[in-house]
Amino acid sequence: MAVRTAFENSNDIGVFSRLTNSYCLVAIGGSENFYSVFESELADVIPVIHTSIAGTRIIGRLTVGNKRGLLVPNTTSDQELQHLRNSLPDAVRIQRIEERLSALGNVIACNDYVALVHPDIDRDTEEIIADVLGVEVFRQTVAENTLVGSFCTFSNQGGLVHPKTSIQDQDELSSLLQIPLVAGTVNRGSDMIGGGLVVNDWCAFAGLDTTSTEISVIESIFKLQNAQPTSLVGGMRDQLIDSFV
Amino acid sequence: MGSYYNFKKVQVVPKAMDFIDIVLSKIQRKTPTVVHPNYQISRIRQFYMKKVKFGQDCFDEKLDQILGDFPKLDEIHPFYADLMNVLYDRDHYKLALGQISTCKHLIDSVAKDYARLLKFGDSLFRCKQLKKAALGRMCTIMKRQKDSLAYLEQVRQHLARLPSIDPNTRTLLVCGYPNVGKSSFMNKLTRAEVEVQPYAFTTKSLFVGHMDYKNLRWQVIDTPGILDHPLEQRNTIEMQSITALAHLRAAVLFFIDLSEQCGYTVAAQCNLFDSIKPLFANKPTLLVVNKIDAMRIDGLNETERAKFDGIIADDVTVCEMSTYTDEGVMECKKSACDKLLASRVEMKLKTNKINDVLQKLHLAEPVARDEKDRPVSIPENALNRPKYDRNDPNRRKLEVDLEVDGGGAGVFNVDLKKLYQFKNSEWKYDKIPEIMDGKNVADFFDEDIEARLDELEREEERLEREGFYDEEEQVEMDDSDEEVLMAAAKEVEKKRQLLIRESFMKKSKHRVILPQKFKKRTASEMASHFAERGVDIEDRARSLVRKRGRSASHGPADMNGSNAGISLAREQSLAAKRHKTTSKSRDRSTMGVKDEKQKAVSQKVLQFAQRPMNMMAKASESDRKILTKMPKHLFAGKRGNGSASHR
Repeated sequence: MAVRTAFENSNDIGVFSRLTNSYCLVAIGGSENFYSVFESELADVIPVIHTSIAGTRIIGRLTVGNKRGLLVPNTTSDQELQHLRNSLPDAVRIQRIEERLSALGNVIACNDYVALVHPDIDRDTEEIIADVLGVEVFRQTVAENTLVGSFCTFSNQGGLVHPKTSIQDQDELSSLLQIPLVAGTVNRGSDMIGGGLVVNDWCAFAGLDTTSTEISVIESIFKLQNAQPTSLVGGMRDQLIDSFV
Repeated sequence: MGSYYNFKKVQVVPKAMDFIDIVLSKIQRKTPTVVHPNYQISRIRQFYMKKVKFGQDCFDEKLDQILGDFPKLDEIHPFYADLMNVLYDRDHYKLALGQISTCKHLIDSVAKDYARLLKFGDSLFRCKQLKKAALGRMCTIMKRQKDSLAYLEQVRQHLARLPSIDPNTRTLLVCGYPNVGKSSFMNKLTRAEVEVQPYAFTTKSLFVGHMDYKNLRWQVIDTPGILDHPLEQRNTIEMQSITALAHLRAAVLFFIDLSEQCGYTVAAQCNLFDSIKPLFANKPTLLVVNKIDAMRIDGLNETERAKFDGIIADDVTVCEMSTYTDEGVMECKKSACDKLLASRVEMKLKTNKINDVLQKLHLAEPVARDEKDRPVSIPENALNRPKYDRNDPNRRKLEVDLEVDGGGAGVFNVDLKKLYQFKNSEWKYDKIPEIMDGKNVADFFDEDIEARLDELEREEERLEREGFYDEEEQVEMDDSDEEVLMAAAKEVEKKRQLLIRESFMKKSKHRVILPQKFKKRTASEMASHFAERGVDIEDRARSLVRKRGRSASHGPADMNGSNAGISLAREQSLAAKRHKTTSKSRDRSTMGVKDEKQKAVSQKVLQFAQRPMNMMAKASESDRKILTKMPKHLFAGKRGNGSASHR
């Protein structure tokens, strides 16, 4: 199920939210409309938690997590950390990281088993990621962009990467992550996949500008509503090649 | 997309005589018309030279327009170039345009020659004759282009009616003998509504129609029928088909009529296929057997069958259909389109640009790198929970509903502690001391703090009882001593404040400064000031004062202020008077003149110089004046009433 929503007229909902298989963090905004979109889809399944990080709303870009844990940057205040600890289930471990690249959401992309990280990230951080999130860590780029968290999004089911990712890179990333991948866009052609899309294993939220074509790609690749990724590259291939080349 | 030609924009080519009329009337309209023999000769020459030059420009502009508008055969797509060759004859076309170009150069040289001659014209008459000769020669040159212009106009009209065929897009090309059902097929596929008649060569030119298939636009071209004879013997109508076959990268649908209702034998049709086969090279080709309502492939006799089988090569697809019963028409269209699309895609896959598109159409499937299983983790209730329905009266109360109830956005304060997960839900709203650097006050709390506090209190009581604090109460100061000390301190402080203020006043540059002229200064002060610096001004001062005319006898006797013999009252009044005179400025009218007499003379001269101005009531040159009350040219009756106003 892919839902379109916007945070206070911004389509970059991935900036203001962080969704995993065991919890969902939502920024504290001017109104509760954005929160309630998540609440209506996820309440009673996983906790949907209001929070700020270092007093800002850009929690999606500053934090990274999966079902086992949550990493927050060193700018997180003690109160925020305590609020998160109180709100999250005990099974989820929270760790504050001393990392120079403090926008963890931009430099790390992960699901429950594998994480792609910025090539320049600290060695200690890499170990913490492996320990707290229980993942294999790979230093990678996506379409020659080092901000892997901004330019790709993936769950345990599948993943969407930057539209300019070459076929070789897609195959390599797919084998690393052990999930099917496809290159695509959100928000009517935006290549900031991480900014416009948040997903977990059973639902997805995309920016309000996302077209129905983009939604259908998202639903197929993330296997939402029993869609299969193989339906992506069938029918229109020849027509697209003939009219775009 | 693709190259697109629009021949409809070519401007009308006027006939030679019209051409001349247009240019001459334009010269008449747009150049000056009035010239007089008594003008300067240079002006007359310029007048006629302008006419000649303008004539040349008009011709040039028109001819350039023609040369630019008509397509250049070497620059357009070879299909169009060949089609124009077939329809209008390449040589004739090129010659016509060449003649127009030559004509333009001739006109230019005529204009140049006559402009030069005009420079030597010595009278109006001669100049006029030269102009007349120049324009006359230009017109003669133009008149000789009568045939070319007429031909070009015909070409233009025909060009504008050509179907706009895009040579690069997806195209189905229908060809075959006359009367085999090509146009009927076209009408089934598109809405081109080509004329269909039961006689040969109903279609005499190319027709284009469009259709949609697989979300793409397809172009269908209906060609005139072709007969089986050598290329040299083909007529213009057939040649159009051949041109289209030769130059368009299209799917070729060769129509064949086995029933021979078209009037041509199967053998003849098969021979045609063989003879134009070279034109099908590298193109998806379909052999379309039409009119199966009348005759199918199975119904052929042996010789015909052998002939028919002979033309079926590996890459030729045979499809049967009938435009009469609609049987097989759509299948034929589909197989043609699919075959063409496949071949186009195959060709485009070899280009460089393909990767940009392909990488977006690629689904990367993982290659297993280990034995590890990576299951998805979806909570059980995630998929079977009821979907949130806004219209359900028993729907879940969302945070946004609470917000509306609580006064709307900006007023409502979200309850952050509601979702806290504690063993005891009563703990949620407990007050927690503020945390700083990872610790709060509870971290400094000792378990036995109560006992220690108790102990301290007991010790205090004991000390009190033992009189430990009594001694200190006796230590007291003498009251009077303290008072004296305090008063002294007060005095010291006051003095200190005064000194501070004084020094501030002295140093401060921000205070208001008394202007020099209001400062009270006396002559004695000045004298002492100078005396301090070793200058004796006594004598000099007196001599200066004395010069001030008549007041010397009334003035102070001495600069030192010892006014002997003058009463105090008098002295005061004098002092006041003296003060007044010194502050008065000097009369500037006496500056620069020797004496009163000279001053009087200069006054007289000034008055004399100003006399005319005074007589004209002080009017100066910047004042508005009307020199002529009624300018003759405006009142002579040559202009209508109220057409203009002077002033």
